[in-house]
Amino acid sequence: MASIRRRGGSVSTTSISFPAMTLSYIALFAWTFVVLFPLYWLAVTALKTPLEVNGGPFYIPWRDFQPTLDSWHYIFFDLREDTFRPYTNTVVVGLTSTAITVLLGSMAAYALVRMRYQVGFGAIGSFVIALAIAVVVVVAGGPWPVGLVAGIAVFVLLLQTVARRFKRGVGNDDIAFWMISQRMLPPVATVIPIYIFFQQLQLLDTWAALIITYTAAHLPIVVWLMRDYFQSVPVELEESAAIDGASPYRIFRSIVLPLAVPGLVATFLFVLVFAWNEYLIALFLTSANAQTLPLTVAAQNATRGPQWWYMSVLILIMIGPVIAMAIALERYIAKGLLVGAVKG
Amino acid sequence: MSIHASPRALRASSWWRPVAARLDRFAGGVFILPAVLVILAFSIFPLLTSLYVSLSRLGFSEGGVQLKFVGFANYAKLLFGIDRPHFLGVSGPLTPIGIAVLVAIYGLFAFLLYRYARGPNLTVGGLVGRVLATAIAGALVWLVVNTILTSGRPGTLVVTLVYVAVDVSVQYLLGLGLALLVVQHLPGRRFFRVVFLLPMMITPVGVAYLFRMLVDTSKGPLYPLWAHFGLTDISWVTNPWGARLAVMVGDIWQWTPFIFIVLLAAIETLPHELVEAAVVDGANRLQVFWRITFPQILPATVTVVLIRIIEGFKIVDLPNVLTNGGPGTATESLTLHAYTIWRALDIGGSAAVAYMLLIVVTFVGISYVNLLRPRAAAA
Amino acid sequence: MSRILARALVLLVGVGVIAACSNGSNTSSNQSFSGTTIRVVTFTGPQIAEPLQRRAPDFEKATGAKVQIITVPFSDLYQKVLTDFSTKTNSYDATVFDPQWMGDYVPPGYLEDLTDRVKNDSALQWNDIAPFFRDFSATFKGKVYTIPLDGDFQMVYYRKDLLQKDGLKAPETWDDYISIAQHFQGKDLNGDGKPDYGSCLAMKRSAQSYWAWISIAAAYLQSQGTKQGAFFNTDTMQPLTNNPAAAAALTVYKQLSKIGPPEQLNQDVGDSRGLFVTGRCALSLDWGDIGPLAVDKTQSTVQDKVGAVILPGSKKVLDRSSNQLVDCNATLCPYATNGVNHSPFAAFGGWSGAINKAASAKVKDAAFAFLSYMSQPAQSSVDVTIGKTGFNPYRSSHFTNMGPWTASGMSDQAAKDYLGAIQSSLQSPNMVLDLRIPQTAFYQQTALDTALAQFLAGEISLSQTMTQITNQWNAKTDEIGRQSQLDAYRSSLSITK
Repeated sequence: MASIRRRGGSVSTTSISFPAMTLSYIALFAWTFVVLFPLYWLAVTALKTPLEVNGGPFYIPWRDFQPTLDSWHYIFFDLREDTFRPYTNTVVVGLTSTAITVLLGSMAAYALVRMRYQVGFGAIGSFVIALAIAVVVVVAGGPWPVGLVAGIAVFVLLLQTVARRFKRGVGNDDIAFWMISQRMLPPVATVIPIYIFFQQLQLLDTWAALIITYTAAHLPIVVWLMRDYFQSVPVELEESAAIDGASPYRIFRSIVLPLAVPGLVATFLFVLVFAWNEYLIALFLTSANAQTLPLTVAAQNATRGPQWWYMSVLILIMIGPVIAMAIALERYIAKGLLVGAVKG
Repeated sequence: MSIHASPRALRASSWWRPVAARLDRFAGGVFILPAVLVILAFSIFPLLTSLYVSLSRLGFSEGGVQLKFVGFANYAKLLFGIDRPHFLGVSGPLTPIGIAVLVAIYGLFAFLLYRYARGPNLTVGGLVGRVLATAIAGALVWLVVNTILTSGRPGTLVVTLVYVAVDVSVQYLLGLGLALLVVQHLPGRRFFRVVFLLPMMITPVGVAYLFRMLVDTSKGPLYPLWAHFGLTDISWVTNPWGARLAVMVGDIWQWTPFIFIVLLAAIETLPHELVEAAVVDGANRLQVFWRITFPQILPATVTVVLIRIIEGFKIVDLPNVLTNGGPGTATESLTLHAYTIWRALDIGGSAAVAYMLLIVVTFVGISYVNLLRPRAAAA
Repeated sequence: MSRILARALVLLVGVGVIAACSNGSNTSSNQSFSGTTIRVVTFTGPQIAEPLQRRAPDFEKATGAKVQIITVPFSDLYQKVLTDFSTKTNSYDATVFDPQWMGDYVPPGYLEDLTDRVKNDSALQWNDIAPFFRDFSATFKGKVYTIPLDGDFQMVYYRKDLLQKDGLKAPETWDDYISIAQHFQGKDLNGDGKPDYGSCLAMKRSAQSYWAWISIAAAYLQSQGTKQGAFFNTDTMQPLTNNPAAAAALTVYKQLSKIGPPEQLNQDVGDSRGLFVTGRCALSLDWGDIGPLAVDKTQSTVQDKVGAVILPGSKKVLDRSSNQLVDCNATLCPYATNGVNHSPFAAFGGWSGAINKAASAKVKDAAFAFLSYMSQPAQSSVDVTIGKTGFNPYRSSHFTNMGPWTASGMSDQAAKDYLGAIQSSLQSPNMVLDLRIPQTAFYQQTALDTALAQFLAGEISLSQTMTQITNQWNAKTDEIGRQSQLDAYRSSLSITK
């Protein structure tokens, strides 16, 4: 390990002059205020009665209004399991799908950075033909498993015969762009097909449906973000490990991943946040058992208009765990890295 | 952690050796296939289904649903039919400013094309691609200028373009600035690091309701401010640009952290020696940033901005909750447009809007990547 | 983090134990449905879902059927349930929904025909339900598909104290409404020193705006009873949206948009209610909800200061033969009072229970028993007096029995005013049935609502607005099929040849 130095964190090791520091703090605190004030408003709204919310702006508890825990009581005791059940669902679905997504995504990202792919047009063409056959089978009234099997059979057949003759193809960048392009269609257009998909698999209203969908939906983001981090990992380390006989898997696990920890942590946080907060897909894929918290938040706007006080409580208890996680993981983003390449 | 110690330990047992060797050979596939297969399974089917749906009309038949194929009718309605003012907007007579803007932008396009045509990298494919891209970009510019800089009004497409352009640029500038401030050796920087992340963690629906509370001019927390400037009587949220501003502020508030943290992590991974060497050479802060930091974080920049562009085009919760797309249709984004008619069961029309969005985003995404990737790679 | 998780787990286990205990104490009298579970879907309350959840254990005790109330956010209930039924997922056995949606649910046969069950269920006291809800709201093509649990129509609320002080009478016509609103606009109405507003309406887009407009337009459009219809010509399916009556209503609506809070264009019914019950508006147009809300001390500062009247009317109505606005006379406005035509608008239609046709026979029986149980006077006469339930009166017995009302905190006078307004609307033979044809959501929520929003925001002119609505409606009608839409419209109005 001697050849690798640990660094304390930031880039600028030059000392900062006093005026620059003052200006920096002014800017930082200004943005802190911008960020925190809305959250403060949530916090005080959660302590108000409806009358105080509708009556005009009241800012400071005990001075402007008498705080009450009515809303908290409603969420935790009146709603009880209607709060805790979605909460558990959100935690399970969020963490599981994020873990899977980050794992699969960083593998793919690493592969796209360090390996060269050439997907032949022949293979793509075979796939399209196979897909067309599957679609025709299903449209013609055949059951979908038959269509699936037929499609796969045709695909393998074509791939091993005709497709080999085509030399030209798409490379790594094209694969990456294809992946990210899967996020371009708004969920409103894809949610019904996904619903039917899981209905056929009898997986509606289960954790599995949400976990699988979120994994698929967020993989492109992980791939793109991790690609850049892996690119900044010095390739020399991997090369020397490879010369020592380490397998690609071992290099990935023992060298590349540890070096990309800040990126992994940042990416983990994003994907967790996305999965934690997703609304439309959760709405359609769940009904009684697997509902998640964003639905509970949105549901606070019903026939009587938004119930700000309940909504504020829900939002606060929703971001609690994510903030805790951010605080816990912040260390890793800040910790600095193994910098400096191999020396020898 | 030990890297060099035991790479061979795994290979000890004899049965493992052939399997491991085989696995190594297929490493390329093993690494990428899980992700590709998952994405493929969950994108092809919805993609094709919604394409078919966009060409058809939904009806309910005895005990089920039926899709009636109608060709391009849903698209025609948006581009030429009764939904054209809603989707594309209404254009008014061009003003001198509009003409000046058009001339300037078209001139720039022409210049760029000319430079490429006379340059050394000229290929037929490249030229065709650029001409095509310029034509589409020109059409979009024409649409924006004709509906915004005239007495007309923008449709949902233009409103979305405005959202994306303004939101992403402001978010990038803010996020970059904050990241640069936070990497400095300042006491308390870990506090800022966490605090700046907070807005991103709230569910988008929640952020939308939060901003609806904040912009309320009669009982919101900024009431004294509105009252001071006499804004309570004109209610800026019912003014088209005021409402759009409210939506954009919300979006910027929520997603600046995303850019902030990606750039922060990117700057943190920069090799120190480069900066130190430059400082020794007598470079000032600005020079260090432009010559070293910025080129080094360019790949991360390209990625994060691309992701924000793609996500930004899908903006829906803020306009939906804040104004429901009003006043009139002033704040309605494309996704909200699709969502509104989707809720009214016009699934085909909704899919057509979604596909128009897909086409525009794909165009913007490809142009953006082709424009910046080579530069990022060169850096 | 792990500690939080641990705590959550402990809480969850605790909740589970409590739930298990409460299930254990089940002593039964008549367990005819034991072992049956009814999955009922509605929106996330407390309104509507609360009484269903509260009464489910009693029902289980009585019959043995377990009722599971599933809730989804209000804004997506329609899509969610329709998707579930139409894709044959059938994860719900019954739904408490808006009967207006019957136009989409009944023709494809998703809902169970309840006609015979209703006839054979004496405990339901079907004839106690107000005729409008019995014969129109619950009925489609002459058959009963829903059981009313709530009576929804719009009324005008006014600040009795203010109007009395200034010697004004409750508005009879929309012109009265405007002049009263103008009178109070900008005055301080609740003593906090800030100027308040003459009238507060929900004019936000994609909210309740179009219902408010129809409430106004109805007075000009429909004068000869429910069967006349207020949306389309019942012979040609031509929209009634491009004529002097629609123009008059649009003009009134635009005027009202300027006599109110400056943010009115961005306010939904939640905002307008909040303003009204905190004393900031002299007038408002709303469903029955303001009545119980105004006496709720945690939300309201105007207890006993609120009066309610039937929707204002018009002295001129549309003569459909000449397509002109003409003065009311005995033949044109048979139901007019003092020459003023009132057309109370049953906006939304009142939450009602319906049963999924695809459910098994036993579950259907149990679901019907549950819906009937909820509607029976013993249960409903209490529920309609509780603000939290969101249920408003819809049975004759709800008006005769004043006990629960005064028990709920209304003064005698307030109860009389509130119920009087409801009763006079309910008994009106000229009540307007909300539009119930396939893709109603498009006609109202999308086409009409967007045009109104654009008109209020000044994006389009009066005549452009009327043309736009008419063209959009006609295009949709032709797309689906004019004849089938006409049949559906006539069915909804129970017009039989």
